[in-house]
Amino acid sequence: MSDAVAVGPAYRSSRRRLAFLFAALVIAVLPLLLTSGYWRTNLTLCAINVLLAIGLDFILGYAGQLNLGQSAFYGLGAYVSTLLITKFGVHFWAAFAAGVAFAGLAGMILSLFAVRLRGHYLAIASLGFAVIVHQILLNWISLTQGPLGIYGIPPPPAIAIPGLPPIEFSNQVALFYLVSAFALLAYLLLDQLVRSPIGEALTAVREDEISAQSLGINANAWKVFAFGVGAAVGGAAGCFYATFVGTLVPDAFFITESFTILAMVIVGGMGTLIGPVFGAILLTLLPELLRDIGDLRLVVYGLALTLVVLFMPGGLVQGWELLRRKFAGARVAGGR
Amino acid sequence: MTATIVAQQIINGVVLGSLYVLVALGLTLIYGVLVQINFAHADFVTLGAFAAYFFMHLLGGSYLASIAVALLVGALLGVAINLAIFAPLRHKGSELLPLIATIGVSTMMQNAMLAVFGPVPYAFETPYSQRVFRVAGTFFTEQSVIIVLVSIATIALLYAFMKFTFLGKALRAVAQDRETAGLMGINPNYLIMLTIVLSSALAGMAGAMLAPVLVLTPFAGTSVIVKAFAIVIIGGFGNVEGTILAGLLVGLIESFTTQYLDPGLIDIVVFGLLLLMLVFRPTGLISERREENV
Repeated sequence: MSDAVAVGPAYRSSRRRLAFLFAALVIAVLPLLLTSGYWRTNLTLCAINVLLAIGLDFILGYAGQLNLGQSAFYGLGAYVSTLLITKFGVHFWAAFAAGVAFAGLAGMILSLFAVRLRGHYLAIASLGFAVIVHQILLNWISLTQGPLGIYGIPPPPAIAIPGLPPIEFSNQVALFYLVSAFALLAYLLLDQLVRSPIGEALTAVREDEISAQSLGINANAWKVFAFGVGAAVGGAAGCFYATFVGTLVPDAFFITESFTILAMVIVGGMGTLIGPVFGAILLTLLPELLRDIGDLRLVVYGLALTLVVLFMPGGLVQGWELLRRKFAGARVAGGR
Repeated sequence: MTATIVAQQIINGVVLGSLYVLVALGLTLIYGVLVQINFAHADFVTLGAFAAYFFMHLLGGSYLASIAVALLVGALLGVAINLAIFAPLRHKGSELLPLIATIGVSTMMQNAMLAVFGPVPYAFETPYSQRVFRVAGTFFTEQSVIIVLVSIATIALLYAFMKFTFLGKALRAVAQDRETAGLMGINPNYLIMLTIVLSSALAGMAGAMLAPVLVLTPFAGTSVIVKAFAIVIIGGFGNVEGTILAGLLVGLIESFTTQYLDPGLIDIVVFGLLLLMLVFRPTGLISERREENV
């Protein structure tokens, strides 16, 4: 496009900072505008799904590894942290760290398959991994109580800041702020990662593994890294999910959950970080906005996934670019 | 006594295994020709099962005719998914886009079926599930005899088709080298369509035979398809003989796990085997013997 203004890195990073400030502001204001418990619940679910989606996108969109096992990391984070809290009385934040670490470790173990396999084989191996984790959660009854589930999971303990009233996370708004602040933090971290030389190494592996290796990039090490980070972020979402919902059943982490997360990433635009954020928000809220359709919630997911792949494989990000270019084109034409 | 139990479990395993083979063969055929995975294959199985159910219970058709109906429904679904997904995406050359699109189709079909048919399992009774044969302490129903015979006949027909007919040879030619096959006057588009229709018809038909054995719900296909994925990988993607062998193996694993361990462990055992195979022999069970078999 001829109308491109010379954009320097300083300008771009200051714009980026502004965008983050704006995002933080939106997060701060939203629960004040949406005061019903119903909408606040949806807001927190959006934040959890954003975490899941950006975690998967780091593996899928940046490292190019088709991981259908994100539901497993989500479930592992949820169950590990919850069991530590309810069975062993571990402090919430210690349990949180353990859940995230465990999920990340599981991701690194799964990546050992990614090191040997690619494409369809990896897709099925990761799906198999998700099936196994779901079955273990379902059948290890002495530990997980199987299909009966775990009830009465407490919210995170209150944080006391001297001079202020303590922050109680039994309060929906406080929990939303906590989860979305974490999501924003995770986004910031991943954003820094993908724009650093690490991101370049990952994309090089995605685009052409052999060329990347001939340039001295250790493709296998980067795959392990990507799986570890993406799975850990998914695990964090699981920890928050457990404490937010208060109940855990294995079927919340069935393989179809992986497909739901995949839909969020693809609809948003895989290979960008901002796309999956909006994909997650859209696909969380869309079925709520179309409440009349009731049971057809997942039909919408499936339809959205199929249509996006067929007609706009770049997702919302591609749609936005098209709109912007059209708008910019019209402006240039009008200015003549 | 133990010998009888073992014999009984071998019978059960072979019955289940032959159904898994039918489902998995469809996946393998598509992979062989297109190098693609159809995730909605599972839902073709389920819809085939429902088609057979309603043909029998609403229209009063016979069970054997309902298998043919399911086959037809599967074939039509194959035409549809080829026109909607595989044909338009083939030219984009991406390995993963068609896979993701079929995940979308699968999610859509599964939940549409859930909305239409509801979550309550359907009791698919056939006149053949009541008649029981007893041989030397083991027993099996006429239904399982039909399942095994129809599966064997279908697999034999498919095999003969691939080996001896011109179309079958053309299909294998496209699988080996699409470009060269095209130069020889073979229309790959037509053959790809044929492959998808064949494999989907197999899925529909398998559905009609699986439904009386399993619980018929909108998710019936999913539990089968995850095993079918394991089977195609254990057997070696695109390898027909390997798929048959692996299908029977998984059927046997399932029946023996149920007998000696715990039914809840079936998927764990099957997928544990799958992951081990992927690490140690990613080319599948009989890749080395493949040349001898040709």
